[in-house]
Amino acid sequence: MSKKLLLAAVVALTSLTVALPGAFGKTAAGTTTAADPGLTARTITLGGTFPLSGPVSRYAPIAFGMKAYFSYINARRGNDGKRGVYGRQIIWKFVDDQYNPAQTVQLTRQLVEQDRVFATVGALGTEHQQAVQSYLNQRKVPQLLVSTGAATWGRDYQKNPYSVGWQPDYISEGRLYGQHIVQTKPDAKIGILFQNDDYGRDYIEGLEAGLGARRSQIIERQGVESTSTDVRAQLARLRASGADTFAIFVTPTLAIGALVVADALNWRPQIYLNSVSATDSFIGVATARGGNDATDGVISATYLKDPANPKWANDAGMKQFKRLQAKYYPQGNPNDQLILYGMAKAQTTVQILLLAGKNPTRASVLRAAQRLNFVNPFLLPGVRVKTSATDRFLISQQTLLRHQNGTWNEFGNLIEGRPGGR
Amino acid sequence: MAGRRLAVRLAGLGLAVAVVALLPRLISEYRAFQLTYVGIYFIAILGLNILTGYSGQISLGHGAFMALGAYTTAVLTFHAGWRDLWTIPVAGLVAGAAGFLFGFPALRFSGVYLALATFAVAVATPSVLKRFPGLTGGSGGLVLDLPVAPFGLPLSPSDWLYYLTWAIALVLLTAAWLLLRGRVGRAFRAIRSSEVAAVSSGVNLAAYKTFAFGVSAAYAGVAGSLLAIAIAFVNPDTFPVSLSILILTGAVVGGLGALVGVAIGALFIEFLPIYAADVSNQAPAVIYGVVLIAVMFLLPTGAAGLLRRLLFPVTRRL
Repeated sequence: MSKKLLLAAVVALTSLTVALPGAFGKTAAGTTTAADPGLTARTITLGGTFPLSGPVSRYAPIAFGMKAYFSYINARRGNDGKRGVYGRQIIWKFVDDQYNPAQTVQLTRQLVEQDRVFATVGALGTEHQQAVQSYLNQRKVPQLLVSTGAATWGRDYQKNPYSVGWQPDYISEGRLYGQHIVQTKPDAKIGILFQNDDYGRDYIEGLEAGLGARRSQIIERQGVESTSTDVRAQLARLRASGADTFAIFVTPTLAIGALVVADALNWRPQIYLNSVSATDSFIGVATARGGNDATDGVISATYLKDPANPKWANDAGMKQFKRLQAKYYPQGNPNDQLILYGMAKAQTTVQILLLAGKNPTRASVLRAAQRLNFVNPFLLPGVRVKTSATDRFLISQQTLLRHQNGTWNEFGNLIEGRPGGR
Repeated sequence: MAGRRLAVRLAGLGLAVAVVALLPRLISEYRAFQLTYVGIYFIAILGLNILTGYSGQISLGHGAFMALGAYTTAVLTFHAGWRDLWTIPVAGLVAGAAGFLFGFPALRFSGVYLALATFAVAVATPSVLKRFPGLTGGSGGLVLDLPVAPFGLPLSPSDWLYYLTWAIALVLLTAAWLLLRGRVGRAFRAIRSSEVAAVSSGVNLAAYKTFAFGVSAAYAGVAGSLLAIAIAFVNPDTFPVSLSILILTGAVVGGLGALVGVAIGALFIEFLPIYAADVSNQAPAVIYGVVLIAVMFLLPTGAAGLLRRLLFPVTRRL
């Protein structure tokens, strides 16, 4: 066979590949049917992507906390005497994206197109959820209660109506710390350790807003990459700057390192620690490594009850949490606030579904998510989950915490996280 | 004899084209999307196989070249408003040029030292991408428009991505085959077997080794570009170090130094983690590792070696 023939064959075959889809290709079919996907008379299927393995698998308990609460709802009889939500069992499909957006996109498509979920709930990661946001909105699949604190989830609902956030955003939390510094130590000299990305910068933006005119008192800023594991060089420079107030705006592993290193350097500023890194399971590591000296007096913020704090022992919501955790997720750590975070989310999901009525559609669930007003037993007393057509920030009240002898204690009142309140 | 072997290869290629063309008729949209990923891995593994399998230079950094291709596409569509389709060749050229340049320092390394040097590139890539937030969007990345079939083709987005990826994959497969069956392939194999012998036979070592790096990186760049188009998003987390290792795994499973196993390598790295996660939600990596060890133990020459052994009674008669 001559080379020319060979070349001709190759060209013919390739053009065939390009031509064939035109001849045989199927057109994108409309998906309008009687009921929305994921919904039957007996079941409703929900899904989400979580880092169950990989670099941030420490967040995995969130998905298991949700699973535990959904299992409880499926087993108990509701006010209408039926199990599940209006007699529908919740099927909870959570999958492992290893914190890689390429996997998030693929798995979200799997959930929507193959597993036919009614909505995604609680899926984790700011960038990861932004990567699937336009896909879900285009398909009109509700993207509910995403596990990220970026402000965009509450703010940009007009552009992405099917996306609904959850927790107070990082900017509001940073503002809380700034205001507290102004009130308690107006002449503070502030040093910041921040993660060198949108997450860290959101916190700084909030802190500066809270400080107002006093933002010039930030005398040292040290950035660190999220992939880094060592903060000793940054801590040495922060200490040398003479700062007496230290804001830590990094993810848990780095935050633990920062607390331990500051203690080892014998540097004792007033520390503010972002809430993402402040749950008991994380700060407990710092206490275990550096002793109470490393973590006493650290200030953070929260809207959740802390399962590690004995003061809630007789609280009805906490009792329910411990009971469900022991029954449906016994492998988990009963003091892990991430499990409680998952349950709080699952509880809110059930509230939204109840509000959407006996024959929900994706659109009616979305409308329900815009008229929430209820108390969640896993959140601090007084915190209301509240939304309106123009307010998609579900939770905006927080309180400050101080760490003492291995326990977080709330102090002061609940603070409205956004200017103007509601 | 040679003519017959050529006919067998052409028949194989024709069969591959037919399967690829007709498959979306039989499977769901989601499966088509999954097979798009397989196609992307196919292209990347093909490129790595040219480098590692034929010229004998090991690379643990091909995820970095994929990232370069992906970001080329993302930046051109996001900042310059290009249509995604036209960015694919540019991504290939940019990554190819980078690979060619990297080939020069790589000349100084061999074996495990080259593996370490390329691994360093893969490790450094996410940090480098975060350094230029104005261009790359920093760690938040760039959100692109969802892919749609151009020119009014009556295709769903998933089917369009599938055909786009596999059409390019088959063209690149043919190109690799044509490249490797002649003088260049012989030179590569000579270098792999013995550099000293290759030089004494008149092979220009530096030229061929850097050329192999360039071609290989260009393939990875095209794969990265297609990945960016398919997921309509890029950020540094999309290109973790494990991606480079994954591609090398696929190349080894498929069989180094042979092209027939590449598709199996690509299927392997796409689907094994999914099934591993089905078996155990807690430890997919363990299952993955065990299966990988088993494959390497039972099939030291990869899927290509197995195919050759199975088909030997047939091919011997030709």
